[in-house]
Amino acid sequence: MGDFWGGVRAAAGFAALFSALLASPLHAESDISGVWWATSYSPKILVLGGGDPPLNAAGKAQYAKNQMGLKVGTLVDKPRKVCVPDGVPRVLETPYPFEIFQVPKGQVTMIHELNHQLRVIPLDKPLRKYEELAAFANYNGYSVGHWEGDTLIVQSNGFNDDSFLDSTGLPHSDQMVTTERIRRIGGQIEDVITIHDPQMYSRDWQARFVYNQRNDIRIEDYSCNDSTHRDISQVKGVNEARQARAQGRLFR
Amino acid sequence: MRGRCALCLLAGLMCSIGAVAVAADAPKANNAIPPLMQEPGVAWRAYLFGGRTRPPGPAEIPYDRTANEYSPPLSGIGPITADPAHPFYNNAVAADLGVSSTYRVADLNNEAGRNLMPWAQEALKKQNALVLANKNGETRQARCWETGVPDIHEAPWEMYFIQTPKEVVMILGGPGQQVRRVYLNVPHSKNPKPSWFGESVGHYEGGDTLVVDTIGLSDRTFVDGYRTPHTTQLHVVEHFRITNDGKTLDVSFTAEDPGTFYKPWGARRPRDRVVAPYEEDVCQLNNDDIFNQGFDPVPTADHPDF
Repeated sequence: MGDFWGGVRAAAGFAALFSALLASPLHAESDISGVWWATSYSPKILVLGGGDPPLNAAGKAQYAKNQMGLKVGTLVDKPRKVCVPDGVPRVLETPYPFEIFQVPKGQVTMIHELNHQLRVIPLDKPLRKYEELAAFANYNGYSVGHWEGDTLIVQSNGFNDDSFLDSTGLPHSDQMVTTERIRRIGGQIEDVITIHDPQMYSRDWQARFVYNQRNDIRIEDYSCNDSTHRDISQVKGVNEARQARAQGRLFR
Repeated sequence: MRGRCALCLLAGLMCSIGAVAVAADAPKANNAIPPLMQEPGVAWRAYLFGGRTRPPGPAEIPYDRTANEYSPPLSGIGPITADPAHPFYNNAVAADLGVSSTYRVADLNNEAGRNLMPWAQEALKKQNALVLANKNGETRQARCWETGVPDIHEAPWEMYFIQTPKEVVMILGGPGQQVRRVYLNVPHSKNPKPSWFGESVGHYEGGDTLVVDTIGLSDRTFVDGYRTPHTTQLHVVEHFRITNDGKTLDVSFTAEDPGTFYKPWGARRPRDRVVAPYEEDVCQLNNDDIFNQGFDPVPTADHPDF
């Protein structure tokens, strides 16, 4: 009998230990640190599952207005003109590399080569309310993250409405909330982002970005007033995008 | 009995894994790495400026004067300083004194001024003349340009560090954040392409200091807020030393450039440990030269590159 209860206690102790190990950050987190570089680039964001972004009536009107403004030059694409941050998810679409850091503990930092944009993502903190952030809204928003198994979940809000979702002028409102699921798949990471913005879209929709690990390169200094930058012509889609822009096909 | 032993074995194995896991997760008791990076939100900020907790007044002047100026080195030739005939009052000092702020006019007659080769003296004379004509007084940093090294130390904003075994990343907060990287325990490349922040390599010394050696700096930057120019031969060695029981980061550097300075010179830039989580602050917006003061344009692309 004593043996039986001893066995139960040992089993219970083992179960508790096993649970604790599974729950420990070392086991929950995946190593996504290092330099990453997009596998492809598209000036128009590609909706996961195909089709067009589900713009509602207000979104369609704003998109048409943005496209016309960008086409005739009354609207400035500030990230490409004066180096302001791209905003989310456009920052995920750039054909330049970026680096992810998982230190200090409790924070994930993404530093992009393009305009040395920063995303500082505190872990295990609550997403702040829109009302708290409205007066301090910014381009890349306010992000918080947590790990679910091997996937980093990043939620962001507090965006200003001075950015586009892509290079064609796809709009968003300042009440957009994004949720990214970032996970490592071998030598790549994927970032699947969900756009929640009822003011501009009739439903939530997703896009997926995939990056190759490139720890063989160093992130370079970049400023938009440089005359030369890193050669990005080998990133699939860049040359086509440059042609489309040069031929005036980027905006309808 | 056999079942219990199997459980014990399994539990022992898991305990061992747990012990390894804990050991890997625990902070390394390695005194050779100064904790420039600490918990999230910890940064190193120059004196008081922007974080003043007391009312302005004469008592603050000694501190506020250092807000965006280099401090003199412990020995040797120091940095360019203000012409005594045209004192530099940054915003904080101007508030202390109850006067208008001024732009920087370089003293070219002191030791640091005489250390400049003729072309650099001439460049600063032209710059002084512009400032005295109320033109082009803003620093490159204030115009949102990459400052390079050592001018990144001029700005008082928070400096955040990320330390990995292979590199140290410095992030300067404030309007228009700047990022530079230091690669640890590797030699310089043979001919690094000149860039805004050059090529920095570094190592730790004495348990409390990061030493950084930088070459390959673009001559599009200046070495200070006076717009002292330099060539691509500029070579900067910085020491980042944690002092004062961990409360202060004492940054000192020496700069040599056989194309610009007769002798190496140096400066110091102490920063205080603060808790100030990073926040995006975009320099380029609402930063137009509305009074036509001949400021540098904010960085602007001729055309989008993709």
